[in-house]
Amino acid sequence: MIKKFLTIGLCSAAFAFGAHTAAQAQDKDLSICFAYQTLETEFWVAGHAAMTQSLDEKGIKVIEVNANEDANRQFEQIKDCITQGVDGIIIIPQDGESVIKMIGEANKAGIPVAVFNRPPNPDNPNDAIVVVADNVSIAEAAVEHLTKKARELNLDRKVQPLIMVGALADTNAIGRREGFNNVIKANSDLYAEPIEVPTEWDASVALANLESALQANPDVDVIFTSSDFLFPQIRAVLSQQGRWQPSGQEGHVILGGLDGDVTACKLIRDGYVDATGVQDLFFEADSTVEALLKAIEEGDKTPKQQIDDKGFALTQDNEAERHQDMWGCVLADKQG
Amino acid sequence: MNNNQIGVLALKNVPFLLFIAIFLVFGLMSDRFLEIQSFANIVKQASFIGIVAIGMTFVMLTGGIDLSVGTNMYLSTVVAGLLMKNYQLDPWLALLACLATGLAMGGVNAFLIVRLRMVPFIVTLGTLVAGRGIGLLLTESRGVILPNELFDFGSGSTFGIPNPILVFLVIAVVGHLILSRTVMGRHIYAVGYDAATAKKAGIPVNRTLGSVYLVSGFCAALGGFVSVSQLGIVNAGFGEFSELYAIAAAVLGGTSLFGGIGSILPGTVLGAVLIQMVQSGLVFVRVDIYLQPIIQAAIIFFAVLLDSIRSRKLADLGKRRIRIEEETTGG
Repeated sequence: MIKKFLTIGLCSAAFAFGAHTAAQAQDKDLSICFAYQTLETEFWVAGHAAMTQSLDEKGIKVIEVNANEDANRQFEQIKDCITQGVDGIIIIPQDGESVIKMIGEANKAGIPVAVFNRPPNPDNPNDAIVVVADNVSIAEAAVEHLTKKARELNLDRKVQPLIMVGALADTNAIGRREGFNNVIKANSDLYAEPIEVPTEWDASVALANLESALQANPDVDVIFTSSDFLFPQIRAVLSQQGRWQPSGQEGHVILGGLDGDVTACKLIRDGYVDATGVQDLFFEADSTVEALLKAIEEGDKTPKQQIDDKGFALTQDNEAERHQDMWGCVLADKQG
Repeated sequence: MNNNQIGVLALKNVPFLLFIAIFLVFGLMSDRFLEIQSFANIVKQASFIGIVAIGMTFVMLTGGIDLSVGTNMYLSTVVAGLLMKNYQLDPWLALLACLATGLAMGGVNAFLIVRLRMVPFIVTLGTLVAGRGIGLLLTESRGVILPNELFDFGSGSTFGIPNPILVFLVIAVVGHLILSRTVMGRHIYAVGYDAATAKKAGIPVNRTLGSVYLVSGFCAALGGFVSVSQLGIVNAGFGEFSELYAIAAAVLGGTSLFGGIGSILPGTVLGAVLIQMVQSGLVFVRVDIYLQPIIQAAIIFFAVLLDSIRSRKLADLGKRRIRIEEETTGG
């Protein structure tokens, strides 16, 4: 009887081990090309870390290529990956236009492709898994909170809002601008015509243009930056004007952003920033990998799917309860 | 003063007149644009590209070009930033390291151009790519956050003058004096005007050519340092396309792309401030953000076109005067 149990036990163990090894071997055989455009900001560093961790946990061989913000270079890198015969491609593109050609190349080669966080422009005729933050609704959530704070000012004039707009070729920047404008328009009784400051996602351009805009319009009450990485530049300009004050202090400018990075988390805790729209990077990374692996497993060479990250707004009011949901706060806690 | 003389005077000062005209147009559209603080902000914002453009002017006066200045700004400030961040190096020592890196990069350009007789365009294009690669390797593409002391310098003032403007002015005056009052300056103009003749006249052409790339490297590093002291961070994209703005500033200020003609004061300084004034002016008067780059490009294009017409007219007027003098002498 004991022998029988031992035999069954050993066979089961051997089978389980064999199955596990086979599965692992299958995963290990898979190679994914991960082509990203930059690690310039905390957001992209965190996005890169979330993605590589997600791929690593599944034991997949990853070929990483960094385009350093050069769309043409990224296109060549994608073609190299295709030549190397990868099983799937994940792209964080430089912009929504250049990625269309890259998806087209992958489609032609019959390699499933996923686009992470920066969607192709709406006229994209090619097929891809697109995992994207709903920039419009996340921006709306953040600006709604700023609006609540703006109403509390009880000014005897209209509140003057200002938006720092990202690169005009970037669909994320456009979505954020749209979300901002939606809330401003919905509260036209409160707000004056918004001031738009172009930044081209360049810190020095943002600094110069914000300084000019505030010199021309010193009565700005609300500033929304389309990306949290520009908060240091906002601080520089407001400090010079003596308006870098925490909320509740005289001269405080109501501040909001989008991304949910470490700086924004710290500034919310310190009371300088009122709200930031947060992308759930961990959800986005896991969803990208899972959807791509599913397509590979099913033999779908040109999967077409959109996965939306609805995100949320982290504010001074909900920071205590929700800070663990924001990737920037998780990193801030790790950094101490 | 007769009409011709007034015409010549006006033509000679076209960049300055254009500068005043643009300033007044934006001023008419926004009262605040005419305030001294607005102008001070514009000069401050133009300071870093202005410093880089001064170095570029030295190179362009010899008929050369330095496309690596944007990368130089990035690499030299990355070195300084990492030394401050990882080794708590004093910001002033970090500045020296930054300038040394800039000079080293200028030295590489100079060696390849002078010793190996390679074309400046290709050499500096190569160092543009390689230098950024080294910077990205050092930082793994991550931004380098700078200490607050540096930020205090960038946003601070000395004798009531914002520090970036002060550095810009000092470099502009020194550059102007070198070009207008020293042997080196005369050699630079001579080499740019006609290198072969300069060589026959005993001018050390190679040494002159090498020195301008060192000056350019130094200015690029200093301009980068001034800029990051205002930003508080060195991002991976820092300095990209700065070479184009530096070239545009020098050309707008009257520096010839073919060498031998140009100045720093008012020339390049005026060009750098003009570019920034247009950008700031468009923000001041709240022009649609989609139209801003188009208008900015159109104004710069118009300014360069006007400068080119001016140069032709002045050359024509010069020829006529020679003929009149000949006739007078003959009569």
